[in-house]
Amino acid sequence: MLRNKSVFSILALLVMLSMLLSACGGGAATEAPAAPATEAPAMTEAPAATEAPAATEAPAMTEEPAGTPADTIIIGTTDTIASFDPADAYATRDWEVLRNISDGLLMWEPGSGDKLVPGLATDFPEVSDDGLTYTFTLKDGIKFGDGTDLDANVFVDHMNRVFAIGPDCPNGVAGALVTPYVDSVEAPDAKTVVFHLKAPVAYFLQLVAAAPYRPLAPGQLTADACDLYPDMPLYGTGPWYVSEFTADEQIVFEPNPYYTGDLPAQVSKVIVRFFADPQTEALAVQNGEIDVAWRFLGPELFDQLQGADGINAAQINGGSIRYLIVNHQMAPFDDPNVAKALASAVDRDALSDTVFGGAVNPIYSMVPPGFLGANEAFDAQYASPDLEAAKAYLAASGYDENNPVEIELWYPPEHYGTQTAAWVQVIQQQLEATGAMKVTLQAQEWSTYAPACTGGEAYSICVLGWFYDYPDASNYMEPFVYNGGIGTMVTTAAEGSDYGVAINDQAQQLVDYLTQSDVETDLTARAALIGQAQDVYADLVVTVPLFLNPEYMVFRDNIQGISSLDNADALNVGGTIEFSYSVLSKTP
Amino acid sequence: MSPIALIALVIGIPSLLFLIYVFVRGSVGLRRYILTRIVLTLPMVFILATLVFFVMHVLPGDPVSSALGPKGTPEMLARIRTQLGLNDPLIVQYGRFLVDMITLRFGNSLVLGHRPIIDEMSERFPATLELVVPASILALLIGILGGTFAASRRKRASDYAWRIYSVFIYSLPIFWLGLMFQLLFGVRLNWLPVSGRIDAALGTTLERITNLYLVDSLLSGNWPAFFSVLEHLVLPTITLGLILSGVFVRMTRINVIETLQADYIAAGRARGIRERVLVYGHALKNAMIPVITLIGLQVAILLAGAVLTETVFSWPGMGSYLVQRISTRDYTAVQSVITVFALLVALISLAVDVIYSLVDPRVRY
Repeated sequence: MLRNKSVFSILALLVMLSMLLSACGGGAATEAPAAPATEAPAMTEAPAATEAPAATEAPAMTEEPAGTPADTIIIGTTDTIASFDPADAYATRDWEVLRNISDGLLMWEPGSGDKLVPGLATDFPEVSDDGLTYTFTLKDGIKFGDGTDLDANVFVDHMNRVFAIGPDCPNGVAGALVTPYVDSVEAPDAKTVVFHLKAPVAYFLQLVAAAPYRPLAPGQLTADACDLYPDMPLYGTGPWYVSEFTADEQIVFEPNPYYTGDLPAQVSKVIVRFFADPQTEALAVQNGEIDVAWRFLGPELFDQLQGADGINAAQINGGSIRYLIVNHQMAPFDDPNVAKALASAVDRDALSDTVFGGAVNPIYSMVPPGFLGANEAFDAQYASPDLEAAKAYLAASGYDENNPVEIELWYPPEHYGTQTAAWVQVIQQQLEATGAMKVTLQAQEWSTYAPACTGGEAYSICVLGWFYDYPDASNYMEPFVYNGGIGTMVTTAAEGSDYGVAINDQAQQLVDYLTQSDVETDLTARAALIGQAQDVYADLVVTVPLFLNPEYMVFRDNIQGISSLDNADALNVGGTIEFSYSVLSKTP
Repeated sequence: MSPIALIALVIGIPSLLFLIYVFVRGSVGLRRYILTRIVLTLPMVFILATLVFFVMHVLPGDPVSSALGPKGTPEMLARIRTQLGLNDPLIVQYGRFLVDMITLRFGNSLVLGHRPIIDEMSERFPATLELVVPASILALLIGILGGTFAASRRKRASDYAWRIYSVFIYSLPIFWLGLMFQLLFGVRLNWLPVSGRIDAALGTTLERITNLYLVDSLLSGNWPAFFSVLEHLVLPTITLGLILSGVFVRMTRINVIETLQADYIAAGRARGIRERVLVYGHALKNAMIPVITLIGLQVAILLAGAVLTETVFSWPGMGSYLVQRISTRDYTAVQSVITVFALLVALISLAVDVIYSLVDPRVRY
């Protein structure tokens, strides 16, 4: 009897003790949100799991983590894989896979934000005088991971497949990055690939570096239909091939034995492991279950991990931005004065300091700094925060403290991280500080929010994020101007028009600047056109750019990038946020 | 054969044989009862599935807009909706859904590669099964032993301790408990992994046959993988099992106390039968009847708990799958998972009732 009593007492005591110890192990916890489904066409808008609330402070490690095998690097992510097909894939993680398993004619140098280098091509292309023909010469001896030779005919077959089936694929990359620009591709001989464009495109080289221009080994994908999840292994010409894929669990990369490029694999295996929750991902990198946590840790988890033993953490300012969509055909923003008042009242520095502790960079143009032609048009025109100017604009339209303009500001509470609610509250306070704006915040869950915000019929002002498809200024303005402009309605989509019908002369002027800059190949002239377009864009207040949303790279201190390349402290992930697994090495 | 079909066969055939045995050997009343329950289960699942179908379609938002976000042009949205059949009249979609359910094909996912739901469930259902079975066993062990012990020490310190434990543990949010375990045993002590079903590197060596990783690693004799799976099971199992154990402690304690007051127990004491034999050999057996009923009722709570546990531990099971697909409005996936959950609850509830009649011969249907 005594024995039984002891056993049960010890059991009860153990349970109680474990609770107590657990409670002592961390501070007050809050529920980490379920990671949002990230199959969004993620080049779009670095989605959600990002800013998961910090549950507790990072506890000091008392035991050295056992770690992962010496020849294997494990990368954690809350992303998912939506497609492996270059004719379809449009999400950041999908592109990361394709870029690691298949080289392009041109590629971004790892670590750089803007340095294109030849990949499959021997050099940059010869461009015809009319800017319509780009001729690439392939390097000798390139093979796919299954041993098949890459020649120009194989490349052309790949591009023809993209033309043929791309428009019907669900994620729509071909319709965005290939078919609007490329008329045809031909192979005059086994080493030469010639692109014929529909019209000159100033940023065609950036497009060529994108995933849909990267072939996989012939015969792996269904020839006449999109093949989102083909059978593994999956081979390209890159340093890795995908040897195994288990949905929602992991994807395994092994070195391509036929790779002859400049960046061969340095370890024998890279495993990307999927997490449902960023908090768990953060814990996993702390206890050594994974070596790298790459997307989407938010600022709070990043802060915690920065102080943890054995962990390196780096912030990368990529091209992901946050901004307000302003609907120009809905009250009250159909009145330009209200839109200008909005642009005048917003205080980006205060927003960054209050909510992010200064960790995000305010932007004063949709085109982030560093891009060709980028300026600070919003700062030049509105010098915000300028409450007096905001009041004057509102007064000109009859709004004052006794008759404030009523605004409903919509936002998705989780898709861009849980901190969205905090920073839209700051904006609410800033606008209401004019005394002539009464702002009501409205939250809506993403699947309802996205079509309502971008459709141009439901919300007069709403929050969105954006990440470029190709690193060029045009991709930060044109989508918000042409054909309804993702809910800005500065144009109206119209049959027979590529750009839509502008709502006024100024909007038409903006369209003209943008279309001219698209075909202008002289860099100085193009930069000037982009600058003019930004000025008009700011004057119209098509959208209100707010801040650059950083990406966070967290990794254990036995993982290194290549020191001779840029951004080695972030494992050579630069502004393009391309992560090349070949830069990774591991000390035992 | 898909893993889910394999599991269905392995579990289903013995269950069916057992049911047939009980049906043949049972009383007329029991036969009538089993038949009635089966006949009632089908419309119940049908009504639930229908309800879920219409609720999902009435809710604002749709999978295509959710997936494409700002980059979905109206033309692209319209084209993909047509491809997925989302532009068809609701009644046509409902008909398609019913056919998919009846044939147990479940249709294709509306997001993430549009894979067949049956394939997705084949990957995830075994993960959930591998979690909930040990968690249930743990909950029952703690609940029944703890409850019985508390009852046998009524109004003493250990009784109060178990009562406090049962209320405390039941009232804890499951995600909090999971997080605390992760921090303590995963990060601070570094004894156990905090996420996933198997070490990532060992996962590449595992031959997936049933997708029950414990079984697969045993079948293939992959011992490192087996121990890794066991290691990964510990924290999620304890989290879910502890939370569920509270109610079993309370229920067992109350019933054992009631039974201990029965005349035959007093008679046993008078005859000098040892207290331990009385409590565990006589009282517990009789007190188990309501506890068995509770097991059936707890299945739904177990599955709900699995949803949270799987999210906290990044456990790729049906629960985390459901959460993910609700947020993307993947109608077919959500409908299918809920239908499967409903079927499970109904079948386990039926099994419990049948077992109930076997355990307690006094029960007559």
